[in-house]
Amino acid sequence: MDVRSQISMVFHLDKCIGCHTCSIACKNIWTDRKGAEYMWWNNVETKPGTGYPGKWEDQDIYKGGWQKNGDGIELKGAGKPRSLTNIFHNPHMPVIDDYYEPFTYKYLDLIESPAGDDQPTARPISMITGEPMDIKMGPNWDDDLSGSPDYARNDPNLKNLSPAEQQAMFEMERLAFFYLPRICNHCLNPACIAACPSGAIYKRGEDGIVLINQDVCRGWRMCVTACPYKKTYYNWSTGKSEKCILCYPRIESGQAPACMHSCVGRIRYLGVMLYDADQIERVAAADEPDIVARQMDMILDPFDPDVIAAAKANGVADSTIDSAQKSPTYKFVKEWDLALPLHPEFRTLPMLFYVPPLLPVMASVTNVDNSEQAEKLNDISKYWPDNWLYDTSTRELFGTIDDARFPLEYMASLFSAGDTESVADRLKKLMAVRLHRRHVTVGDVDEDTVAAALSNTDLNGQLADDIYYLTSLAKFDDRFVIPPAHREQAIEMMEFTGDAKGSTGFGFKVGTAVRGA
Amino acid sequence: MRGATGRQIGLVLPILFAVAFPSTLVEAQAMGEELFRSTCAACHTTNTDRLVGPGLEGVEDRRDREWLLSVIMEPDRLIAEGDTIANRLLAEYLVPMPNLGTTRAQAESVLDFITDASGALSVNTTVLSDAPITEDQVFFGMALFQGNTRLVGGGPTCNGCHEVINDAVIGGGILARELTTVFSRLGAPGVRAIIANPPFPIMQQAYRDKPITEEEVDALVAFLERADAEQGLHRPRAYGIKLFTAGLVGSMILLVLYSVIWSGRKRASVNQDIFSRQVRST
Repeated sequence: MDVRSQISMVFHLDKCIGCHTCSIACKNIWTDRKGAEYMWWNNVETKPGTGYPGKWEDQDIYKGGWQKNGDGIELKGAGKPRSLTNIFHNPHMPVIDDYYEPFTYKYLDLIESPAGDDQPTARPISMITGEPMDIKMGPNWDDDLSGSPDYARNDPNLKNLSPAEQQAMFEMERLAFFYLPRICNHCLNPACIAACPSGAIYKRGEDGIVLINQDVCRGWRMCVTACPYKKTYYNWSTGKSEKCILCYPRIESGQAPACMHSCVGRIRYLGVMLYDADQIERVAAADEPDIVARQMDMILDPFDPDVIAAAKANGVADSTIDSAQKSPTYKFVKEWDLALPLHPEFRTLPMLFYVPPLLPVMASVTNVDNSEQAEKLNDISKYWPDNWLYDTSTRELFGTIDDARFPLEYMASLFSAGDTESVADRLKKLMAVRLHRRHVTVGDVDEDTVAAALSNTDLNGQLADDIYYLTSLAKFDDRFVIPPAHREQAIEMMEFTGDAKGSTGFGFKVGTAVRGA
Repeated sequence: MRGATGRQIGLVLPILFAVAFPSTLVEAQAMGEELFRSTCAACHTTNTDRLVGPGLEGVEDRRDREWLLSVIMEPDRLIAEGDTIANRLLAEYLVPMPNLGTTRAQAESVLDFITDASGALSVNTTVLSDAPITEDQVFFGMALFQGNTRLVGGGPTCNGCHEVINDAVIGGGILARELTTVFSRLGAPGVRAIIANPPFPIMQQAYRDKPITEEEVDALVAFLERADAEQGLHRPRAYGIKLFTAGLVGSMILLVLYSVIWSGRKRASVNQDIFSRQVRST
């Protein structure tokens, strides 16, 4: 047992309102500079939709991630022989139009234009060429199902659905969507690291953050092809690749990453999980339906004395083990079995988990005579003389999982490599918690229904309350349990800190600056 | 800062004195000799011996001083302007004198040196060995010329700039004179002088601090003499249009090969069909 610690994340999709605050927080800190204008280390996608870059989930196009090769795995589009033969021409890379051409507007024209017959306009300007351009695309162009026939309809996750099911999803009355915020998954089996010909990418031993060393990167861009989530980006100005660094300078000083700190819906959780690194190879090569369950098995119980002993033997700090025991991600992922990794079939063992969205919002417009109401309106008010109706509600308050607005196959394609059962299990738990809380706070759900829902999902009232607390009431320190980084120990491994003692601070004889000289 | 100023004045004063009162006369003479040895001596002597150009003993008696100065400074302009004496000399000596960018002060100091040195002091840096050239020398020279053997001083290989028509030598550069007939044009002393002590600015720059040894000069001269003597026997293949055609066909084959190897490549943005439908402002 090779116990290591990993800072992992959980995003609770039921709480995401798609406001892009996370993206902006990240942009302002990290990618608001030359060569990085098009990068969104954090982006929020509408599902169904093709995302950013377009159709990133379709590995027939981008050849990202791993694929099974006999008993083992190999990189789908990179790896030694392919990298060597394609080193000067990487044939499956996204082009700038797959992301979008970054633009701004020539705002100064609005106030500096000479007087004329027409209003001045702020023309869009390319942030790459500096020339006026036609905006073709944006990083969230298909937000809220805009351009559905082109984007949502081409969601790669729809391929397992029958044409009838797809048709049902896009009926006007049933149309639904949810948001999928994405950052680097800081995978346990990262394809980007395996693909890098320069050895510039590494996974930090102490917390598993995946980083690109800018001094070593030579810009071969094999990581761009290899990452199935398309979360490494090539900076055209520096000629090197970059990616989400999980705000490690913030984490090292005990602060939550910018995207998580700024999250309006408080959907993000961050904490340490201990895992068994000996199993990585076997789990990554598991058969597709088993991958999720095997990945969950890899994650170790931080209260198990054997695990603690092995972790200590491996140099994991006591404070890290303590953090792992308080980790909200461990609770969501392992203890409560509520969260799932995104696209586990890419076999990178992502350590960002998603609580799948329940989407219970139902609408019911019944056939009522509203002529009386119409009488009260004045003449210019708009009113509908027909009493057309639709009904997406269900017999019971929340309905059943099988009535969910999104087919389970769609969710399974996103979160469980096609295994609908594991998605249904999680959704049922979410539903049971809601029924329980509805029973406690409103009381219009009868006790038998609640008891049945809880026992069906191996939950009890106390567990359901715990889940409810961490979901809805959790404070900052509940959501982010950040282990001390112990930088003081790290630096002592490389240099003798006594050398610097007494050489900074007060008590030095240096010349006094001459004022006004 | 204030403390430093005093020290600086102490340093500057002696320098100012040195600049203001130089031993002008002595220095000018030394400069003239230095210049003559480094630039003129490749082609000229201060006695009556003819090298590449005429021997210069008594030249100030034969020609007008102003004319001599303009020849030293801008010989190319003189020839271009149709000066009769300059053109007659060119017809006689075949090699035009290069414009070395000499300033008027330098030209005068060189001329003064020639006048002083005439007859009495013979400046002739080229020492011809009487030994007949050997086969080894020719081969060594060939190796040096095309860079199979590096020059000891680390200077650039001859055929980077020069070409010699010879079956045994690969084609050279066209940046400088073609050297097949250089031996009959300049003769052994001229060729030796130019290699050992190049008068041309670019060649000087290229071999600055990278001197060619005596042995190497001998070998190169031997090779050039042989190349000149045997030029009639050598007929290097002229590829002409065939080389171009072969290159064109070769690149076609490579392009076809590449398009087969990378036939599964991603050709355009996944949203290209959407973009092509979009309305453009231009």
